Amino acid sequence: MGRQGKEYWRSLNQLADTDEFKEFLHREFPKGTVELAGNAWSRRSFLTTMGASLALAGLAGCRRPVEKIVPYVTRPEEIQPGLPNRYATTMPLGGSACGLVVTSREGRPVKIEGNELHPSSQGAAGTFMQASILGLYDPDRSQEVLKDGRSSDWDAFVAFWKKQQVWHIADGGEGLAVLSESFSSPSLSRLKTQFEKAYPRAKWVSYDPVSDGNISLGIEAATGRKLQPVYDYSKAKVVLSLDSDFLGFESESVKATLGFADGRRVLSQQDDMSRLYVVETALSITGSTADHRLAIEGGRIAAFARALAGELSRQGVLLNVLDNVTLPDGSDFDGKWLEVAAADLIAAGRQSLIVVGRRQPAEVHALVLALNEALGNIGETVSYNENSDSPDSNRETLAELTADMREGRVSTLIYLGGNPVYNAPVDLEFASSLRKVKTIIHFGLYADESAAGANWHVPQAHFLESWGDARAVDGTTSVIQPLIEPLYGAHTDLEFASLLTSGETKSAHDAVKDTWKDILGGGDFDKKWRRVLHDGLLTGSAAANVIPRIDRRGLTGIISASTVEKSKVTVSNMEIGFYSSNVFDGRFANNGWLQELPDAVTKIAWDNVALVSPATAEELKVENGDMVTLNYEGRSLEMPVWISPGQAKYTVAVALGYGRTAAGRVGTNTGFDTYRLRTAGAPYFASGLTVGNIGNNYTLANTQDHGSMEGRPIVRENTLAGYKDKVEFFPEEPHHPPLVALWDEVKYDKGYQWGMSIDLNACTGCGACVIACQSENNIPIVGKEQVHNGREMHWVRLDRYYAGDKENPEVVMQPMTCQQCENAPCEQVCPVAATTHDDEGLNVMVYNRCIGTRYCSNNCPYKVRRFNFFNYTNDIPEVAKMAQNPEVTVRFRGVMEKCTYCIQRINTAKIDSRSKGREVADGEIVTACQQSCPAKAIVFGNINDPESEVSKLKENNRKYHVLEEINTRPRTSYMARLRNPNPALVSKESHKSEHENG
Amino acid sequence: MAQIFPKWTNNLPTYVALGTFVLLTGAVGFVWYYFSPEYTDVGYRPKQPVAYSHKVHAGDLGIDCRYCHTGVETQAQANVPPTRTCMNCHTMVNTDSDKLALVRESFASGRPIEWVRVHNLPDYAYFDHSAHITAGVGCASCHGRVDQMEEVALVEPLSMGWCLNCHKNPDLHLRPLDQVTNMKWEAPVSQAEFARAARTEKDINPSIECSACHR
Repeated sequence: MGRQGKEYWRSLNQLADTDEFKEFLHREFPKGTVELAGNAWSRRSFLTTMGASLALAGLAGCRRPVEKIVPYVTRPEEIQPGLPNRYATTMPLGGSACGLVVTSREGRPVKIEGNELHPSSQGAAGTFMQASILGLYDPDRSQEVLKDGRSSDWDAFVAFWKKQQVWHIADGGEGLAVLSESFSSPSLSRLKTQFEKAYPRAKWVSYDPVSDGNISLGIEAATGRKLQPVYDYSKAKVVLSLDSDFLGFESESVKATLGFADGRRVLSQQDDMSRLYVVETALSITGSTADHRLAIEGGRIAAFARALAGELSRQGVLLNVLDNVTLPDGSDFDGKWLEVAAADLIAAGRQSLIVVGRRQPAEVHALVLALNEALGNIGETVSYNENSDSPDSNRETLAELTADMREGRVSTLIYLGGNPVYNAPVDLEFASSLRKVKTIIHFGLYADESAAGANWHVPQAHFLESWGDARAVDGTTSVIQPLIEPLYGAHTDLEFASLLTSGETKSAHDAVKDTWKDILGGGDFDKKWRRVLHDGLLTGSAAANVIPRIDRRGLTGIISASTVEKSKVTVSNMEIGFYSSNVFDGRFANNGWLQELPDAVTKIAWDNVALVSPATAEELKVENGDMVTLNYEGRSLEMPVWISPGQAKYTVAVALGYGRTAAGRVGTNTGFDTYRLRTAGAPYFASGLTVGNIGNNYTLANTQDHGSMEGRPIVRENTLAGYKDKVEFFPEEPHHPPLVALWDEVKYDKGYQWGMSIDLNACTGCGACVIACQSENNIPIVGKEQVHNGREMHWVRLDRYYAGDKENPEVVMQPMTCQQCENAPCEQVCPVAATTHDDEGLNVMVYNRCIGTRYCSNNCPYKVRRFNFFNYTNDIPEVAKMAQNPEVTVRFRGVMEKCTYCIQRINTAKIDSRSKGREVADGEIVTACQQSCPAKAIVFGNINDPESEVSKLKENNRKYHVLEEINTRPRTSYMARLRNPNPALVSKESHKSEHENG
Repeated sequence: MAQIFPKWTNNLPTYVALGTFVLLTGAVGFVWYYFSPEYTDVGYRPKQPVAYSHKVHAGDLGIDCRYCHTGVETQAQANVPPTRTCMNCHTMVNTDSDKLALVRESFASGRPIEWVRVHNLPDYAYFDHSAHITAGVGCASCHGRVDQMEEVALVEPLSMGWCLNCHKNPDLHLRPLDQVTNMKWEAPVSQAEFARAARTEKDINPSIECSACHR
């Protein structure tokens, strides 16, 4: 097989085996961590504070704390204090909608999970959805109506608008403009129609910095219709992604991940799995999962798509819709790769799929629609529907609006959400164009950059506080119902839009019901409505599939309108690419969970960086963390550089959404504002970038090297073909003497014995489990400095290992959390028995016993224990404490903590089943990480029950334990990763990498 | 030259050693007893905002515990009743009692009554009422004869050692399920046999693992 020799490395430092890395390995925590210095805490101030708190504790300790019980006056029927309630709602994000089930305790939402009935979530929820619970309780959200920056109130605004509205009605809305974010809400669409009727000459423009606009434009050009694509990755045998991070930051990634994982579930040697080809610029989550990956500049992907069309046509695919287009040959690219990928797509016969990312221009989307059509994929792996409620029908662009504003043709501008002052293309000079607008009204969650220059700012309610509705991508009509009254007295989109339209205040609940009376049709409305509220959606409301007919003229037109050129990038003319990130387009910048979630690939938290490939870095003479100047079209931006294996040569990738100036306490001045380089002409990528090295180093909080496994067989893998041939995985398990425990072995053969299985073939490294765990288990945010010190608190660490060629590595992701070892090394060194084993095989952590010696962490071979160096929870704002789970102890300074397999969920299920006189059923206990996993990679259950799903997975021949040879006997096992490379490319690639490494 | 120290000083080290021993032992004993929940917590009887008498309601009138503490059979928290539960009767009974002024006020204003918690476990210990009730542990086992208390007082230390005593040997505290809320129930002579049978039947083997209560 030749795979034994593959060498895994986690970071370039490790590959280089630098002194710094060696020192890192030998220290339990990185330098400076154990010394209490830090910036904020000198030893002296620490001791002073400690002394003071001890003195206070001494006084207070004598008296019993008096605690109050405050019952309801009249208990609401549906609330039993202490028992959680679960409600279905929907999170709208751009044009998509994700169905959620939110757990509420005594009226305060605490945990977000996916809605199993909803087509876009199917029970799972991504990082944005889950972290929005923290966004709800964000104390930095705008809390009052502002008039010219001074405190005012809603009534004053209503009175103002009623007066203002009279003029606008009089002149038909001349000079009135609404700038909204994109949405897919039936109610908001209805109000928009009414708005347009009331003010026929007004403008309604929608703008999002990161949107699916290119996709709709492309499809419209190719078919003449406004259609919404829906992909079914589970059916696809061969997937080719052209710059689409469909498992990461594209719309509908949760659904895509589940479908994709379903297409790759291998439970025996007889099973097959899909093959993924990825052509992209920066290494993405999708690229990390790829079986074959080609790194090219974003600007050449259009050319690649045409070359692919040419290749498909050469291989016999009927492409006569493209007769008038000259299709280049693949000479500009890796010809063999192209040929093999095309052949594979054809061979999959109607079960292949080509997807294009939202970053690519419309013409690529149009062309690929034709290719999918020619391959017979439409109706199989991709279908289309007519989504009537998204606002793209308005062709006014932001640029036109800005021009109008500059020329004084806009007298009243209303922002309906959105933050264009921060995120509009820099060359539009949006902020300066506002000068001639007489009245600016900002309606948004935060008093942000855009609110600063507005005459009125009206706080917007969070979606968890709102009545509303949204259409999922497949057309399913979903309802947004509030979990809590607006915390800060804010108003919902629908209330605001109703006011704009009619001048009357109308409750959002009534507005939604008005819309739904039409949607639900005749009959008993209340009964149907209650059903909708229960399910969170209208069952069976998915839009009918449409078979698009290709409009030949439109397709040829859009393709001929643009030309493709050969690659021209050099070290002095590089390409810059803009990406959405963990804070999406910047709207989640003030969310500490998302800021602290390390980037899936670079593992950098709390910052965005300029990614370059190792070879490019060498030419630029830059190292990790060096500050560089990015000069593009006369503008420049200083930011730190990071060497990212797999980045296309001579390209720089930067994440959007950082460097905010008015985001709040978490997001302001975190990272670098890359919108300052982003122009209207090149929203996603463009060449013409030069990079200058400034030299001084910038501190980045990176979790990459933490907890290194020192080259042991931690992630094991094989190719599908190799596995079918023989059950073996590489790196091979080391030879070891018979495993004998030092102590008497305890037999865990009675009752429940908990265990977990994690399928590395399904895991994409998306990070949903990390956020789920953080939300469920009250895990604190520690901040950039502490993450840099290696003190991040996440119980689930997502490890990312590279293998092979530095310029285009193979990547594996591995969630690493407490393995619940039966022979746990941590337990044997705890001097106070604060971590012990229970009879169900759990390695339990007793916080109140822990005295913080950290011996356990030192002795943990998996490095999954986390220590509270400070009293992090103390710093949580009072309102954000409402997000905490009362079922889990909040840990204090000086206490060790780690994954508990969600023991609170185990105990709840055990008590519940006992009181009903039955055993806990398989699947009844779902850990938070398992629940959230969009790929269903994690399975938890009773391994003492041979019929349980987890037991069966542990019998599977792909199962292995990490560090089996040290006899820790972990309860968490992994399923070895499988790759499905095309044999036609394998020999070539391995030959190539050997050649380059040699 | 005369000796500086008189002869009796020869015994001084012995006295000092003895004295130290007695003092230390005393100190340990002092802390042992006076710092324990048996001393610090048992007997805690805070003044409640409303002079609600369990003796009258649960004892003399014989109202079942579950009339007010509705969650006790089905969830972790037994729950203190909402004001409305009081008013279920007191719109008709003793409608102008002074003692009920706060209750009426709360009901009219919608402002809840702030009761003082008597039975308080540390935040890192998770107790579940339903688990104990369904196993047949009587209310009185932990809360004492509430039906005889004018004001509720803590009668058991609620310390970890106390919990574990029962978890190690629950036999004395198990009763038939229909007697759980009966305050006057007393263990019959045949308690040992009953307990054995009940434990076999319901598989009652209380966990003494940390994970049983700490999460």
